[in-house]
Amino acid sequence: MIKQILLFIFLWGSSASVFAQSDSAEVSRELKAGIRFQKTQKLYWENGFSIDYTCSKLWDKRVHLGLSYTTSRLGSAINSNAIKQDNYLFNASYHFRHTKSLHPILRLNLGYFYADMENEIFEVLDHTAFMVAIDAGIYYQFDFPLTMGFTAGYNLSSGNGSTGPGSLYPIYYQLSLFYTLFKQ
Amino acid sequence: MKKIHFLISIIALIAISFAACNKTPDIDDSMLDGDKIFDPSLYDSAKYLVSIRIDNPTTAQINTPVLIAAHGYSATTFEWDDFRNYADAKGGVLVSQVLLGGHGRTYDNFKDASWSDWQASIIDEYKALRAKGYNNINFVGSSTACPLMINLIENNVIDPNGMRHILMIDPIIVPSDKILTLVGVLGPMLGYIESNLSNEEEGHWYQFRPQETLRELMKLIDKIRKDLENSIYLPSGVHAKVYKSIHDPTADAISALMIYKGLFNRDGSKIEVEMLDSKIHVVTRLNGRENVSSHDRDIQKKVFDDMYQILTK
Repeated sequence: MIKQILLFIFLWGSSASVFAQSDSAEVSRELKAGIRFQKTQKLYWENGFSIDYTCSKLWDKRVHLGLSYTTSRLGSAINSNAIKQDNYLFNASYHFRHTKSLHPILRLNLGYFYADMENEIFEVLDHTAFMVAIDAGIYYQFDFPLTMGFTAGYNLSSGNGSTGPGSLYPIYYQLSLFYTLFKQ
Repeated sequence: MKKIHFLISIIALIAISFAACNKTPDIDDSMLDGDKIFDPSLYDSAKYLVSIRIDNPTTAQINTPVLIAAHGYSATTFEWDDFRNYADAKGGVLVSQVLLGGHGRTYDNFKDASWSDWQASIIDEYKALRAKGYNNINFVGSSTACPLMINLIENNVIDPNGMRHILMIDPIIVPSDKILTLVGVLGPMLGYIESNLSNEEEGHWYQFRPQETLRELMKLIDKIRKDLENSIYLPSGVHAKVYKSIHDPTADAISALMIYKGLFNRDGSKIEVEMLDSKIHVVTRLNGRENVSSHDRDIQKKVFDDMYQILTK
């Protein structure tokens, strides 16, 4: 658990340094935070939080950077025997037609996966993984400070029985709702 | 490697979309899929089913442990021949090898059967043994037979004290190949999937797996996974143990954790689980496999000895 927290802090730090570089008067910046609902094909709901940042220095706001934490603890594992598992992701996305309200996006996610085995007899199984996932979808920016995104993705790090966590599945779908915290 | 797997999946998706014309495999007479070779239990059921083999069981036979042994998806009674031979040599346990419904027959018979059909023959043998008064009935299942048995437990088909031990070998709740989760989309384009069998396995396993049956398999394991998330309790007087290969190329080992978290003894305590240092799916069946190591044989013997000790204690 400590390892993934440290990794998450590292990712936070990396992003923060990017944010700091863009902290000048002429730079236009945008920061959004919100909630994410994630359903894995034939497995769990893993819900959580997400942050999205862009600025004019990032290819004129075509590129966004973000962090997300989704977990079955806020989804399928609530009041059930589903495995408690966490996804900590840093992502970079490219927004096509970014000035339009409705626009497609393509995103690369890197991060860390952890599944709680709960009993030491299962600790022999792979239950952590470095995650690489790509997803694509559409985002819609409302006239008021709310953005909604539908994406579908493929996780390249899923378990195959021999290696990788068995409860890390390849196909997932996400609904993200962001509130714009500031826009300059 | 993962990237290659992903690329292959994408290419396969596209290729499948265009090459989905031939949905009927080329079946020859050497295959179980054809209409020449059938599972021997269909010709000689008395040899395989205790309920038929023994017309009027004596008191001693009624008290002898009877083990209903059910095989996995696309297999046949052959999968439990190894343990049958072991138990016959040791004595003291009667093994009833059940052929799952729809299995061991033609490709079309297999294609048309639902997972409830697969399960029916387990129910039939259990009820037949109960009707004859057997009071030490046990169950062992490999792979798909395990979710079938879990479903019988949740449907209260097993009476309280109507079974002593339920043993599960490499149960499947999560497939190792996660592409199976897309069978609902890819299946109709695929038609069937061809499996790699050794010469000896031919005739005992289906060479071709119809997409309809893969969908049934996915439907079954998805249902049982969800049911386990909501807790399932064994009938009173029933003990359960799971044996699971750690590196299983067919049934992901995480399946054992899901059963451990979701299947409880009647008093709410945890069931037994033993993780096996093996790379084989259904380590209890080595007959007909290629490249079997002494390590595999050691594990098989260890599991057989443990099963026998549980059944006869």
